Amino acid sequence: MDILAELTPIFQEVFDDDSIIVTRQSTANDIDAWDSLTHMNMVMAVEVRFKVRFALGELPALKNVGDLVDLVQKKLNKK
Amino acid sequence: MDHFIKDKQYNVGYICTGQQCEAGFGDKVAMRWLTPHLEQHDYTFNELDRTTARFANVLCGLGIAPGDVLFTLLPKMPEQFFAFLGALKQQAIVGTLFSNFGEEAILDRVGDACASMIITKKSFLKKISRIRDKLPTLRFVIAVDIDEHLSDGILSYSRLMEQASDVFRVAPTRPETPSLLHYTSGSTGKPKGVLHAHRSILMQQFTAETVLGLTPDDIFWCTADQGWVTGTSYGIIAPWSMGVTQVHFAGGYNAEEWFRILQNQGVTVWYSAPTALRMLMREEAGLYTSFDLTALRHVCSVGEPLNPEVIHWGRRTLGKEVYDTWFQTETGAIMIANRPGLEIRPGSMGVPVAGIEPAIIADDGSFILDEAPGNLCIKVGWPSMFTTYLNNPEVYASRIKAGYYYTGDTAYRDADGYYWFRGRSDDVINTSGHLISPFEIESTLIEVSEVTEAGVIGVPDELLFEKVVAFVVLHGQVAFCRELELKIRLHVSNKLSSVATPHEIICVGSIPKNKSGKIMRRVLKARYLGTDTGDISTLED
Repeated sequence: MDILAELTPIFQEVFDDDSIIVTRQSTANDIDAWDSLTHMNMVMAVEVRFKVRFALGELPALKNVGDLVDLVQKKLNKK
Repeated sequence: MDHFIKDKQYNVGYICTGQQCEAGFGDKVAMRWLTPHLEQHDYTFNELDRTTARFANVLCGLGIAPGDVLFTLLPKMPEQFFAFLGALKQQAIVGTLFSNFGEEAILDRVGDACASMIITKKSFLKKISRIRDKLPTLRFVIAVDIDEHLSDGILSYSRLMEQASDVFRVAPTRPETPSLLHYTSGSTGKPKGVLHAHRSILMQQFTAETVLGLTPDDIFWCTADQGWVTGTSYGIIAPWSMGVTQVHFAGGYNAEEWFRILQNQGVTVWYSAPTALRMLMREEAGLYTSFDLTALRHVCSVGEPLNPEVIHWGRRTLGKEVYDTWFQTETGAIMIANRPGLEIRPGSMGVPVAGIEPAIIADDGSFILDEAPGNLCIKVGWPSMFTTYLNNPEVYASRIKAGYYYTGDTAYRDADGYYWFRGRSDDVINTSGHLISPFEIESTLIEVSEVTEAGVIGVPDELLFEKVVAFVVLHGQVAFCRELELKIRLHVSNKLSSVATPHEIICVGSIPKNKSGKIMRRVLKARYLGTDTGDISTLED
C-alpha cells in the first residue's frame, strides 16, 4: 500500500483544498488550513482510513508527513 | 488623547504609515516579518507607506469607492497588512476573516456586508467558488499567490500591484468615517457585523501607551490573528500609530520557537492569550532557562479570563508580570485592565482605563453595589465605541439602555474598584478567545443527513477556557461510529470553522427543549457537568 499517495485525498478533504499534494517533507507550515484543531480531524481521518489507532504520546513526535507515513506503516505491520 | 491627530486627519491607514514617515520614522523597521522557518524580512515605514499606497491605487483602479466593503481571508502574511491599511487609506471598509472559516461562515459575513471584494490565497478559492453565486455584490477576488489573472473576477495581487503607483493622496477622513467591520457571534441568529469608525485609533493608541506601556522605542509582538479584533487594534493599528516596531510570525504555536523569537528579536512587550500562556505553562520548566529574556519588560494577555496560576507562573518561571486586559469586538480597545504600576490582583480583570465608566447593572436596570454580580456595562461615548451592528439596528438598540452598553458579560466590582469576570449572560461559547454561537453549530450539525437534532454547549476546559460539546440525536436506524463522528467533525470544520468543531460529540435519545421548542442548553450543561439542572418546569414532556 502506498500510504503517502493515500494521504493526499485525505488531506484534500480534511483541509478542504484540492490543490494539496502531500510529500514526506510536508508540515503544518505548508498547508494553510492546518491548525491544532484541523490536526485532530486529520489524525482521526487517518485512523479511520487505515483502521489504526494512535496513542496520545505518539503524535507530538511527528515532525512531518513522512513521520506519519512511517508510523502508519509500523502499525499496519503489527496487524 | 488626540495629540497625534494632525489637521483633523483621522485616517488610520495614513496615521500608521505616511504620518510616521513625516515624523522621521521612514527608515525605521515597522514590521519584522518572520516566516514559519524563522527567515526574517524587514519592512520600513517608508516601504509600508508605499506598498499600502499601491494597494489603495489598485482599489481605485478597480472602481472600489469609499464606503465599499472588502474582506481579507488570509493567514498571517505581509499582504494582510498591506491590504488592510491600503483599503483604509482609500476609505473602504475592511473586514478581516479568519482563514480557518468554512464556506458558510464566509457566506454569512460577506453576504451580510454586501462586500465588493475578497483578498485571499489560491488555496481558499475553492471555498469561495462554492458560494460565489450567492454573493451578487462580490465583484473581485484577489489572490495574493497567483502570477496572472485567472478571469475578470479572479485577479492576481502581484500583477495589480506592479501596475499601480506607489503614491496615493489620502483624502481628509473624519472621525466618524466607517473603518473596520468585525463579525461577532451571538447565542441566536447569524453573526453580527460590528462596525467601527476611524476615531477608534484614539482609544487604541491611548491604551497602547497607558496599559501595554508602549513607547516608540519598543519591539512589540502581538500573537493574535488579524481575524480577531486584538489582531487589528493591537496587531496593526495602535503600535504603528506610535511608530513602534512590530514582530509578526507566520508560524503556529511552538514553545521553543516562540521563546527564540522573544530572545533574538529583543521583544520588549508581548501581548498574547491565556490559552497560549497555559500551553507554555505545560512545557518543561527547563526550556525557559536557556533563553535570555532580559529585554522583555512584561507580558499582557487578552481573550479569556487569565487564571491566577498563569500570573504566578510568569513571575516564577519568566521573572515577568503578566497583565490581564479585557475588551470586546464592540469596544474596539481595552476598557478594563491590569497594567504596569498597578497592583495585580490575580484572577481579576483589573480596573477601568482612564475615561472609561463601567457599571454593574441588574436586569431591572438598577445599579448594583460592590461585591455583587450583575451585567457588566460601559457608559456609552468612549472613542472606540462601535457605531452599529451592520443591518441590525434593532440588536444595537437592545444592547444600549439608559446610556449604557450591555457587554453580555457578567462581573462584579470589589471595594477597591477591581472588576472580576463571572461569565456570560447568554449561551455564547468562549473557546481560546473565540466567541462561538451554539446556534450556528447546531444549524450546521443538522445539515448532516444522519443527524436529526443537536444541542451545543460550552463547558469549562483547563486549556481552552471552554470547549465545545455537541449532543446529537441520530435518525432511527443510524449507529454512532467513528466514521460518522469524523463526517460530523469535517462538516462543521469545513462549513463553519475549525474552532467551532466540537471537541466531544455525544449521541443522545433527545435534546431537552422547553414547551416553545427552545433548546434548554443549561439543562444539557448541568447533565454534562453532573450538577443540579435547576427549574425544569418548562421542559417539554
